[in-house]
Amino acid sequence: MNEQYLSVFIEETREYLQLLNEKMLSLESNPDDIEVINEIFRALHTLKGMSATMGFENMAKLCHKMENIFDLFRNQKAFVDSEIIDALFAGIDTLEKMLQKILDDRSDEMDISDLLEIYESFYSRASSGVEVQKNGVEDEDKGTSFGNEKAKGSEGSTTVPISIEESVLNVIKEAIEEEFKAFYLKVTLREGTMLKSARMYMVFHKIEEVGGEILKSVPSVEDIEDEKFDRTVELIVVCKIAKEKLAELIRDISEIEEVNIIEIDSEKLKAQVFSSEEKKEVEQGTDSKNPKTSQVDRIKESNVTNFSSKITQTIRVDIEKLDTLMNLMGELVISRSRIMETLKKYQIKEIDESLAQLSRITLDLQNIVMKIRMVPIAFVFNRFPRMVRDLSKKLNKEINLIITGQETELDRTVVDEIGDPLLHLLRNAIDHGIESKEEREAKGKQPIGTVKLDAHHEGNNVVIEVSDDGRGLDREKILKRAIERGLIDEASATTLTDEKIFSFIFEPGFSTAEEVSDVSGRGVGMDVVKSTIEALNGSVQIESVKDRGTKVIIKLPLTLAIIQALLVTIGDFIYAIPLVNVEETLSIKKEEIKIVEKKPVIYIRGEIIPLTNLKELFQLPHTESDEDALNIVIVHSGTRKYGLMVDELLGQDDIVIKSLGKLLKGIKEFSGGAILGDGSIALILDIPNIVDNLQGV
Amino acid sequence: MGKKVLIVDDAAFMRMLLKDIVTKAGYEVIGEAANGVEAVDKYKELQPDIVTMDITMPEMDGITAIKKIKEIDPDAKIIVCSAMGQQAMVVEAIQAGAKDFIVKPFQAPRVVEALNKLSK
Repeated sequence: MNEQYLSVFIEETREYLQLLNEKMLSLESNPDDIEVINEIFRALHTLKGMSATMGFENMAKLCHKMENIFDLFRNQKAFVDSEIIDALFAGIDTLEKMLQKILDDRSDEMDISDLLEIYESFYSRASSGVEVQKNGVEDEDKGTSFGNEKAKGSEGSTTVPISIEESVLNVIKEAIEEEFKAFYLKVTLREGTMLKSARMYMVFHKIEEVGGEILKSVPSVEDIEDEKFDRTVELIVVCKIAKEKLAELIRDISEIEEVNIIEIDSEKLKAQVFSSEEKKEVEQGTDSKNPKTSQVDRIKESNVTNFSSKITQTIRVDIEKLDTLMNLMGELVISRSRIMETLKKYQIKEIDESLAQLSRITLDLQNIVMKIRMVPIAFVFNRFPRMVRDLSKKLNKEINLIITGQETELDRTVVDEIGDPLLHLLRNAIDHGIESKEEREAKGKQPIGTVKLDAHHEGNNVVIEVSDDGRGLDREKILKRAIERGLIDEASATTLTDEKIFSFIFEPGFSTAEEVSDVSGRGVGMDVVKSTIEALNGSVQIESVKDRGTKVIIKLPLTLAIIQALLVTIGDFIYAIPLVNVEETLSIKKEEIKIVEKKPVIYIRGEIIPLTNLKELFQLPHTESDEDALNIVIVHSGTRKYGLMVDELLGQDDIVIKSLGKLLKGIKEFSGGAILGDGSIALILDIPNIVDNLQGV
Repeated sequence: MGKKVLIVDDAAFMRMLLKDIVTKAGYEVIGEAANGVEAVDKYKELQPDIVTMDITMPEMDGITAIKKIKEIDPDAKIIVCSAMGQQAMVVEAIQAGAKDFIVKPFQAPRVVEALNKLSK
């Protein structure tokens, strides 16, 4: 029934759980920070309300019990210790599991009795010590507030539970001067009411029929029309008929379960809501004396939501829609190229101008679309402090995790994919990299290990580095394993660079760990890390110094879909070389090619760069050309450079990467295809792979 | 004697079902109509106390029929019968003067509640 809200619920719950994790970590290091305690309390409270509204009672219950604990902290009836912190972390984990279960099979059924018992005994222990205070009452109070939080506090009270803008307030005042009456109305529909917005419309219709005017409605009229409300609508109404009569009229409409009505006295109202800021302070000030916490809670709750919306005004969009937008954007870029291609033939001056404008607009549009898809990498990074905490506790190592550059933005798809590889790298760093305290002390190092996670922009790439100050990779051991596994023969082993040797750990099934722990070392992993990153058009590199540490450097493109490329011809075909890989283009004379160790190279500005004839590589028919000048594209991947011989340089263009499909997945030389302006197809060279290949030869 | 009800629906099955519910609740079904035109004629002829009005019908739809009947008798008590997803239609019908609506598939208690409210 609540299916339409489910995705929002899940998304939002995730955010709250993330917040909880973060705040719990800061609570652990700062157990007396009342602000943090309050924040956690509010987050749990909101979660409780959300889950109860969705009918996930189990989840609501767990949140409730956890919230109670924080209530104790808040009122200083209990103090934070490591035991309860662990139990609360376990609670957050369970909430996460529940959310997953809800995602999988729409149910939050789970055995939480152990946790509840821990919380309850903690609670009763703490509260029994301070019996004079009103714990029990408060708990009961909250217990009844489950799920229908908003239904409270309105009947019998004269406070108006919704905030009223000054403009509305003025209208009320004027209306009262003209002998109108102003009412706060809360109308609740019967459960299972169908066509809810039509039913609510009847309420509106009825009020207007008797000459009333609706000044404000919560939720808004638009939301009511879109059925974006549960069962309750709150209204501010002015009319001339009496309070009881109005309530009676509305109660008379079918399927109305309840009508609460409060007459608004303008003076009182003014005092109450004129300055909402003041009110908040006053209310919070009286908090400890006032057992009715609902009002305060409500304000706090709205504080929480206001707070998050204040940071950035955002709307939620289904990622699929963004994908579609990106695809359409791609098509637009292709169409633009085609139009330009076609019109180039005619050389019409007027069109040139509009074409230039079209190009500019598409470029801007493309940038915006790209930016829309960008999210800060904090989305992934935020998960790690918690994981590192748990892992270091488990392995009995003290780790200082330093995260920098979490504001660096990346395409959403990339961010989604990169989480697991990073998690793996961090685990490796902590499990294998960082030594035990004793070992570190014996080596004269700081007993606390440092693991750094950094992200930053570098041209059109985002670079993520995971580094540790641990024992470093064991060159000899890796070499030995590589020889054992036949990846390399002993003779050539001595000539290998460190980089080449370290890259063996990315081979499938390659592990030097003697023992398989449940943390890492099962040999599944580094190869997956590499393939995931390469699937994202990225590259990964390792640097390591014995006893000084290891650094894994990941380079990822900013976006996946549209890239700038250099178009070249080789034989009869057009190929695209991603501009990020292009260092420069040259035209050289044949005699400038030198042969070193039977391989062609060129000598540019004191640097020797090996040359490759792509025709040979692609096994295209080729004859020794007798042309004097040769076109060379210098490409780079990592620190390595290669010169690629091509027939013709066509120019630079935006291309939209299309995957080659499953059947051609095994082809290493090409990362995809692109449709060009004239409708022809160009294959996109996968430079890192080609360079790897050439290197290996 | 119970109040007199006119049932308007193009589906004979729905009329039958409604008639059953209405009769059991102690009302008297004095007539049936299968489209808007018939409904307006029957209203003039039979002067029922309450009308149940389907929205989607051939010849003349329910909303037009409500407007016509209201022209004849501004006090006419009409309950709109709607299917799920006809929210906008229902709102229009209420603007045209319908007093209540019920949603298909009908739940007998809801139908009876609507009738009772109108016959007060």
